[in-house]
Amino acid sequence: MGEADETAGAATHCPYCALQCAMFVRPTAVAAGEPAAVPEITGRDFPSNRGGLCKKGWTAAELLVSPERILEPMIREGDGFRAASWPEALDRIADQLREIRAVSGADAVGVFGGGGLTNEKAYQLGKFARLALGTSRIDYNGRFCMASAAAAGNRAFGVDRGLPFPLEHLDDAETILLLGTNVAETMPPFIGHLEGARAAGGLIVVDPRRSATARLTDDGAGIHLQPAPGTDLVLLLGLIHIVIELGLTDRAYLDSRTTGFEKLRRSVSRWWPQRVQEHTGVPVATLRDVARRLASGRAYILTGRGVEQHVDGTDTVTTAINLALVLGLVGTPDSGYGTLTGQGNGQGGREHGQKSDQLPGYRKITDPEARAHVAGVWGVAPESLPGPGVPAVELLASMGREGGIRALLVHGSNVVVSAPDAARVREGLAALELLVVSDFFFSETAALADIVLPVTQWAEEEGTMTSLEGRVLRRRRALAPPPEVRSELWILRELAARLDAPGVYSDDASEVFDELCRASAGGPADYSGLSHELLDSGIAAHWPFPAGSTGTPRLFLDSFAHADGLARIVPVQPRARVAPAQRDGVMTLITGRLLSHYQSGAQTRRVPELLASEPVAQATLHPAAAERFGLVDGDSVEVSNSRGTVRCQVRVSADIRYDTVFMPFHFAGEQSANLLTEAITDPISGMPEFKQTTVQVRAVRAMEDRGAAADSAAVVGAVLEADLVG
Amino acid sequence: MAERVVLVGYGMVGARFVEELLPSVRAGLVQLTVVGAEAAEAYNRVLLAEYAVGATERESLELTDSDEAREAGVRILTGTSVVEVRRSRRTVLLGDGEELPYDRLVLATGARAQVPTLEGIVRVRRDALRPPESAEELDSAGAPLPDGIMVMRDLTDAERLGQSVRAGARIVVLGAGVLGMELALAAVGAGAEVCVVYHDAGPMERNLDRGGAAVLARSARASGVAMVPHARAESIVFHEDEHGVRHFEALVCADGKQIAGDILVVSCGVAARVELAGIAGLPVARGVLVDEELRSWADPDIYAIGDCAHVEPKPEGWGNASSSALPAGGPLGLIGAGWRQAEWLAARIEAELRTSVGSGLVDTPPLPPEHSAVVMLKAEKVDVVAVGNVHVDPWDEPDHAPGCSDAALSVAQWADPANGRYVSMVTRNGVLDAFVCVGMPRTAAELTLLFERGSELPADRSVLLRYDGPDYAVGLGCEEAFAPTSTVCWCNGVTAGQITDAVLAGCDTVARVGRETRAGSGCGGCKGRIGEILERNAPANAPL
Repeated sequence: MGEADETAGAATHCPYCALQCAMFVRPTAVAAGEPAAVPEITGRDFPSNRGGLCKKGWTAAELLVSPERILEPMIREGDGFRAASWPEALDRIADQLREIRAVSGADAVGVFGGGGLTNEKAYQLGKFARLALGTSRIDYNGRFCMASAAAAGNRAFGVDRGLPFPLEHLDDAETILLLGTNVAETMPPFIGHLEGARAAGGLIVVDPRRSATARLTDDGAGIHLQPAPGTDLVLLLGLIHIVIELGLTDRAYLDSRTTGFEKLRRSVSRWWPQRVQEHTGVPVATLRDVARRLASGRAYILTGRGVEQHVDGTDTVTTAINLALVLGLVGTPDSGYGTLTGQGNGQGGREHGQKSDQLPGYRKITDPEARAHVAGVWGVAPESLPGPGVPAVELLASMGREGGIRALLVHGSNVVVSAPDAARVREGLAALELLVVSDFFFSETAALADIVLPVTQWAEEEGTMTSLEGRVLRRRRALAPPPEVRSELWILRELAARLDAPGVYSDDASEVFDELCRASAGGPADYSGLSHELLDSGIAAHWPFPAGSTGTPRLFLDSFAHADGLARIVPVQPRARVAPAQRDGVMTLITGRLLSHYQSGAQTRRVPELLASEPVAQATLHPAAAERFGLVDGDSVEVSNSRGTVRCQVRVSADIRYDTVFMPFHFAGEQSANLLTEAITDPISGMPEFKQTTVQVRAVRAMEDRGAAADSAAVVGAVLEADLVG
Repeated sequence: MAERVVLVGYGMVGARFVEELLPSVRAGLVQLTVVGAEAAEAYNRVLLAEYAVGATERESLELTDSDEAREAGVRILTGTSVVEVRRSRRTVLLGDGEELPYDRLVLATGARAQVPTLEGIVRVRRDALRPPESAEELDSAGAPLPDGIMVMRDLTDAERLGQSVRAGARIVVLGAGVLGMELALAAVGAGAEVCVVYHDAGPMERNLDRGGAAVLARSARASGVAMVPHARAESIVFHEDEHGVRHFEALVCADGKQIAGDILVVSCGVAARVELAGIAGLPVARGVLVDEELRSWADPDIYAIGDCAHVEPKPEGWGNASSSALPAGGPLGLIGAGWRQAEWLAARIEAELRTSVGSGLVDTPPLPPEHSAVVMLKAEKVDVVAVGNVHVDPWDEPDHAPGCSDAALSVAQWADPANGRYVSMVTRNGVLDAFVCVGMPRTAAELTLLFERGSELPADRSVLLRYDGPDYAVGLGCEEAFAPTSTVCWCNGVTAGQITDAVLAGCDTVARVGRETRAGSGCGGCKGRIGEILERNAPANAPL
């Protein structure tokens, strides 16, 4: 295929989620002088999406010609911005960074990356931080996304590839357990791969909401479990207990492929089914059904953010993995465990060095051999590389604090909306001396910046993305970017030059990729056998793909990635967390995504069709909860706690648990769900708690006209329910 | 020097205490010795009935990693009894004559099965007895139950019962408490012939109201258990074999009824093992009396946890002759409370030892008070969950004293005995005070959560009954699936209404509908339903 012919368009992949649906983008010709027209998108046949796209994909090209697009570098002036030339913007950034570093040390400059950046950008960003800035303070928004699953995968298997098997293997599954993931809305074409399990009656969905995905279990297609928020870990411990109790373990597998089962067996003895029912609200009989079903062959266990975004997210995923291991599912030809990566390049983004503790190839920054190898590729001394930094929440909390960061470079992230305790993040950003944001739009974070750099969008650039199945895909340029818009690769090259950085910084994605491949050689995520040219030949490249190999569609068939080849079964116990009494308006908030929006909504809220279908944040309440507050569908509601207050619309639906309120996190301002979430994190992964927040719910205004009706209803209730003294 | 902690009892609570104290042991703060009477290492007693009937394996009962504790330096003595606590010397004397010094002594001796007075069974008055030197005789105290009569308390009991079940024995269970009912249902599930004999009108009298008990009795009978209510057991009839050994033959009730069987399992509640504390002069009521910090009222170096501990605040001025009345109440008898005590005490001891060099002020959160514990019957097909005082009738007149600030209790009930379902929710200010739920598992699970958290119930209590209704678990009905607002294509968020509009506007194939609305252009899973909408709106079907 080679270089894209710009009038002919290019075969590429969707800019949004990790499913990376294949599509074709073709520029729409317009007469000279006419405004640019929206390029045409068509679905492309591919194993992941089979030609289908969701509405986010179909409308993705609208952002390429959005009137809101930033077309020149912008420098803050008073309350607004003025356009500036690239040399002026870059000189100013370089000067300020140099000065801050000279006064406060290299670690006074922070870098915040994103899981939507191409592999090349993520790699170059990590290199830039370590070499050009000399800072250890780099992390990325994947910390809010994949960190718990990654930590658990590494702990159990010695490597973390989201799906360690090709996606289409799910088609042949008879049982699929989905833990805390609403794929029907977040990556809709994925549900085509659930058809086999549904036909076999084996789709099992665990979610406090009767989500669109949970509804796929209707009519005999499977089972929906609706546990109380924050009880996933206990639920999984109970399933392991039952698997052992019913003698459903795969003993031969446990003996030959794993270590640690004996300790696990004893540790789950205390989670007998009735006790689990008491904690989770899931009946014993349902738990037993699920355990039997999982043991009946060709079964997959898949986790999502619902079970991962907790302060015990790593342990929860570990328990899901333990369940898969006692059943003997992992590393066999037709079963498995996986995590469903969220962001477009959430997989590649966590492999190539924008994580605070990591170097390219999924190497540990504390490992002397890894440092020597990467320093060799970069042409610097290993000692010159900084050590491990701090994870995202801690990095953001340090903004403007004594010993914290004074400047921050943000790439592909909108932290004001996506980070927990968003009001504190906003305060922190305001306390910085320099905030530089690279974006296409004035996202809520860019709007707070000192300098905003306009960057290319997906259809305007070359690169690679690694999808949720660990398959390296080519992103191709279908049209030219606006004249003053630049790729991050170019920006980093220019800044590196101004900072007299050692090493080479190319703005050619193919060259950067070649270097990435060399840097990854020998690491867990080894890309060394790959190149843009090879990928363009159309191969299905699942990593590890060392030089001379043909890649690894299914991992762990012979052994796991630990030195002894065995998977680690790590027993864990839940830490006591007291759920407050749910009365006087106290409820548990969970957050999540909607079909029409993606992440912070910075992109999808700018697509008219998507915004029209889901224009505002809605807090979903059970009808009985709504009744308690005197609310009906469409009313205004206030959801608050000590960190912040959200005002939004109510959606009344019996699909949610009575004790739970759901809010999407795609909206900004007073509709931002992350005003409420707490910046407490998992001790292993640094993942914040997004899925169990105590809030206070109340109606914004008393509905006088309905007041009378509500009163009479209360009287009827009192008549039916005789009162007496205890 | 490390603090010498001696733990007496290595059951579920003792084992948990050891686990929780391991960090202190590893840190060299504590030197821990465990003395357990049973020969086996700690195991999961809760699952004994399942084990007895073969529903679970012996190894599934393993609860703790004793080797890990030993590696950390814990000395674990099993099959060993403590015969005396010598408080003045701060030692305990073991059955084999060894004397162990302690700085702190933790009693986790648990409870033994209570055997009622029945003619034919020797009564033992334990509180005056020095515990036997042989650990095996800890509960029989030299007067073992006659052949064919047993209790269900330990592994040996479970194994004996298992043999009987496998041999097809007729089993008589005396007592219809939660343990007796679990045992009966498990045994009948394993194919045994079982009869439950009990004193009250209904089973689980302590936990259930009339409605709940009636539905449970029906369900148990439907499962094949013979239920014999209103039976006051008085004596035992034996037969003697050729060696002159007496074997159980039948249970005789006050009204002359004789219930014959091969084995009699006595399930009449438990009593704390307190004799060790009693002889050592520690105050004892239903259990060893300890304060909110789990310390004996009389000796700050001795603690009690689990089924042997009776937690009560020590009364002001206790110890004076004038105020020696013993409190009512007693041990809670449920494992959750015991584990919380074990966890708390280990944390407390660690905190005290870590701060003892410093200010001496220990800042650990107090042990939260236990509220009534939820009782759940463990049986495959019979769901019973209950808590609190459920003996409240919805039609009782409120006897509110004027000016009384306590809110009134409200009772909402649902009874459908023919279908084995019964729910009673007793609330105060909309919050559950007690409930019983039979035959409705999902409702029971949700009520448990609401009770445990002290959460407010929906004003319309019937919402909670829907969880077990067919309308809840089953998806959209056929008509509803084609309601205009119902989503057909999830990938593109296209509703049935939008598709119908497209069809009426002339899109006559699935592909054309897709081009117009994007429906079906994602995963394609909805193409069948789009086809159905097309058919419904085909000209032939159009309303005239």
